[in-house]
Amino acid sequence: MARLTRRSVLRGSLALGATSLLPLPRIARAAATTATVWFAQGFVQDEDVALRKAVTDYEKASGNKIELSIIPFAPERQKIISAITSGVVPDVMDSNPNEILQIYAWQDRWVDVSDVVETQKAQFSDTALQSAQAYNSVTKKRGVYGVPLRAAVVPCHIWRPLVEKAGFKIEDIPKTWDAYFDFFKKVQDNLRKQGERKVYGLGFQVTANGVDPYNLFTAFLIAHGGQDVVTRDGKLHLDDPKVKQAAIKATAYLGGAYRDGYVPPSAINWNDADDNNAFHAKLMVMDVDGTLSTEVAVKEKHPEWYFKDMVTHGIGYPTDNAGKPVPSVVGVTQGLIPKGAKNVTVAKEFLKYFIQPKVVGEFVELGLGRWLPVMPSLAKSPFWQDPKDPHLRGYIQQGLLGPTVPDYYVFNLAMAEVRSQHVWSLAMIDVAKDGVKPEAAVEKAFKRIEEIFAKYKVA
Amino acid sequence: MTDSASVVDVGRPAVRRGTLSRSLRGGLKGGEYTWAVAFVVPYVAVFAAFVAYPVVYGLWMGSEASLYRELFADPIYQSTVVNTILYLALGVNVKMFLALLLSGFFMRPGWWMKALLLIFVLPWAVPQISTFISIHWMLNGEWGFLNNVLYALFHTEGPSWLNDRWTALGAVIVSHIWKWTPFWTLILLAGRMAIPVEIRDSARVDGATGVRGFVHITFPLLANLYLICTLLSTIFLLGDFNAVTFVSGGGPANSTHVLATLGIRDAFEIANPRLGVAAVMSALPMVIPLVIILMRKLRTAEVQL
Repeated sequence: MARLTRRSVLRGSLALGATSLLPLPRIARAAATTATVWFAQGFVQDEDVALRKAVTDYEKASGNKIELSIIPFAPERQKIISAITSGVVPDVMDSNPNEILQIYAWQDRWVDVSDVVETQKAQFSDTALQSAQAYNSVTKKRGVYGVPLRAAVVPCHIWRPLVEKAGFKIEDIPKTWDAYFDFFKKVQDNLRKQGERKVYGLGFQVTANGVDPYNLFTAFLIAHGGQDVVTRDGKLHLDDPKVKQAAIKATAYLGGAYRDGYVPPSAINWNDADDNNAFHAKLMVMDVDGTLSTEVAVKEKHPEWYFKDMVTHGIGYPTDNAGKPVPSVVGVTQGLIPKGAKNVTVAKEFLKYFIQPKVVGEFVELGLGRWLPVMPSLAKSPFWQDPKDPHLRGYIQQGLLGPTVPDYYVFNLAMAEVRSQHVWSLAMIDVAKDGVKPEAAVEKAFKRIEEIFAKYKVA
Repeated sequence: MTDSASVVDVGRPAVRRGTLSRSLRGGLKGGEYTWAVAFVVPYVAVFAAFVAYPVVYGLWMGSEASLYRELFADPIYQSTVVNTILYLALGVNVKMFLALLLSGFFMRPGWWMKALLLIFVLPWAVPQISTFISIHWMLNGEWGFLNNVLYALFHTEGPSWLNDRWTALGAVIVSHIWKWTPFWTLILLAGRMAIPVEIRDSARVDGATGVRGFVHITFPLLANLYLICTLLSTIFLLGDFNAVTFVSGGGPANSTHVLATLGIRDAFEIANPRLGVAAVMSALPMVIPLVIILMRKLRTAEVQL
C-alpha cells in the first residue's frame, strides 16, 4: 500500500483540481447561448404558466436556453437590489418595482436597449415609450433602458350585492369624482341602518406600506387638477396654486373619509394584498386597487363573483368634478438588462422575441388579463373585447385606449423616493388619525418632497 | 540579500531570530508545521470569507458621513431610536425577570410540573414568523380574534390595537416576551439546577428559606448567568427583525420601526443598501459596550454559575 506523504497529498490535490477544470469549456460553450431571466411571480398561477410558455416557445424558436427564475414579488425586489449592489446579476430582469428602472438608470447600471424597443416602436403606446426612458446622472442624458412588457392602472372594484342591499343600483353611481366616492358613504350609512356592523363604504389604502397608497393619492391628486406636480422636464411645481389646492383636496378627502369612519380602521396598516383580502371578505363596498388581481384571483373558485357580483369601473371610471376625463397613471413593467450581464446578445434577442405583438399579447391574455398590453393594436383582440366578460373591456379602455400618463418618477427619480418614503401617506394619516388640518399636513409633505428633490439634480 | 536587509539584520542576535521563528511555529518542526498550516488554512479561509469579509464590507458600506446626515434627516429616525430603546429596555428586562421567576416555579418537583414545562416551551418551539402573523391577525380591529371575543363576552368594540403607535409597539414587545421567555426560562432553570443541593440545604438549616434563600443564596449564585443572558438577549434583540415586521409591520405610519427594520426599509424599499447599513450601524454605540461587558464577564474567574 502506498505511503501517504505530504508530497503525495499535494500531488493528489493538484491532480484533482486540474480534473475539475476539464468541464469548463462545455460551460463556456453553453454560456454563449444561455441567458438567465428573473421575473416576479404572478398573483394567479396562470400568469406564471403564460411566462413559462413564452420562454419555452423562445427556446424552441431560437435554440438558445433561458434559465428562468420566477420569484415572489417582495423577495424579487430584494434580490434585484442585492444583485446590482454586489454586481452578480442575471441577464434579464423585470422592473420590480417599476421605478427600479429609474433608480438604477440614475447610477448608469443598465444596458441601453433602444435597439430592442426600436423593433416594435410603432406598436407601443406613447405612455409605454415614455416609461421606458430614464435619466442617467453619469452621462447626464435620458436614455431608453427599459423594454415595455405589460402595464397596469388602478380601477375601482365594487360589490354589486352590497350596493343593492343598501337600496341602490349600480347605475345610480354618479359619474363625477367627489359624488362618485360620496355615493359609497351613503351605501355604508344605509347598510349600517340595516344592522351591518362591519361594512365600510370605501377601501382607501390610507397606509404607509406598499405601492397602493401612492397610486390612490396620485389618482385623487390628478382628479383635483394637480397633474402638473412634476412636468415632463422633471421639474417640481409645488409652488403652483393648482397643485397645492389639489394636494389639499386629495389629503382632505382621503384622510377625512377614514376619520369619519367610512374606511376600515385596519386600512391604516394594510400591506399590498390586505385590501384585496378585505374586499373579498366584503369588509368594504368598494376598493381602489391596481390591476384586476381582485377579480382574477376568484375567477376560478367563485365564478359567480367574477361574472355577476363584482363590478369594475374601468369604463365607468369617474371624471373630474367638472366632467372632464381623468387620465389614469400607468405603471409599466419593463424588461431590463443590467450592466455586467454575461450574455447581453441573447438577453436582447429574447426581449426582441418577447415584445412581438403576438407573443406579448398571448402572454397577457394567458395571464387572465390581470395585466394590460402596452400596444393599442392588441386591445382589439377577442379576449379583450369579449362581451361576456364584465371587466376586461373597461380595464383596457381605462389603461390603454383612454387617456393615460406615465408615473411621475419617469420624469424625475425623486418621485420614486417620495413614493417609497410614503410622504403622501403620512399626510393622509396626519388628517385621518391625528386630526391635523389638510393644509398643515400638505405643507409638511411639501417640505419633505422638496428635501428629497434637492438630492436629485437633473441637468 | 539586499543592502537594506543586511542593515536591518546588523545587531539582531541570531539566537533571538531563531527563538521568534520557533515561537511562531509553536514548537513544530519540518513536515509537522506544514501539516498544521494545511489544517488551519481551511478554517482561516472560511473565517475570512464568512466572518471577516462581511463585517469589513458592511463597515465599508456604511462608512460615508453623508449617509448619516441623510439618515438623521429622515423624519422617522428619531422615533425609531426611541422605539429601539423601549423595545430593548422593556423587552429584555421584563422577559428576563419573568424567566427568573418562572425558572424558580419550574424547580418544583412532580410529573405535572414537567408536563406544564412542556406546554410552556411551545411558543418558543413553534416557527416564529407564523406565530407573529397569527398575532397580527388576532389584533386586527375589525375581524381579529381578540376583538371578537370582547364583543361576544361584553358587547363592546375593542380598539384597533395596531392603529396606535403605543399599542402597536406594546403588541410587538408583548409578542417578543411571549415568544422568548420560555427559552431564557430553560437557561435559568438549568442554572438553578446546577446549584449544589448541599448549599441550598445548608442555607435552609441556617434559616434562609423562601425569599431570603432566593435573595442571599440563589440570586447571588445566578447573578453572573443572569447578566450574561441579559446581555446576550439585548444583542439578539437589537438585530431582531421578525417581531416588528410581522406584528405591526412598522406601522401605523412608520411609527413602530426599530433600527433593524428601518435598515431593511432603507435598503430594499428606498433601494439604498448603503443607507440601510448605516441605519443598522448607528446601533454600534449601543452594541460595542455590551459586547465589551459581555467579554469581560465571560472572563470572570470567580466561582459563579
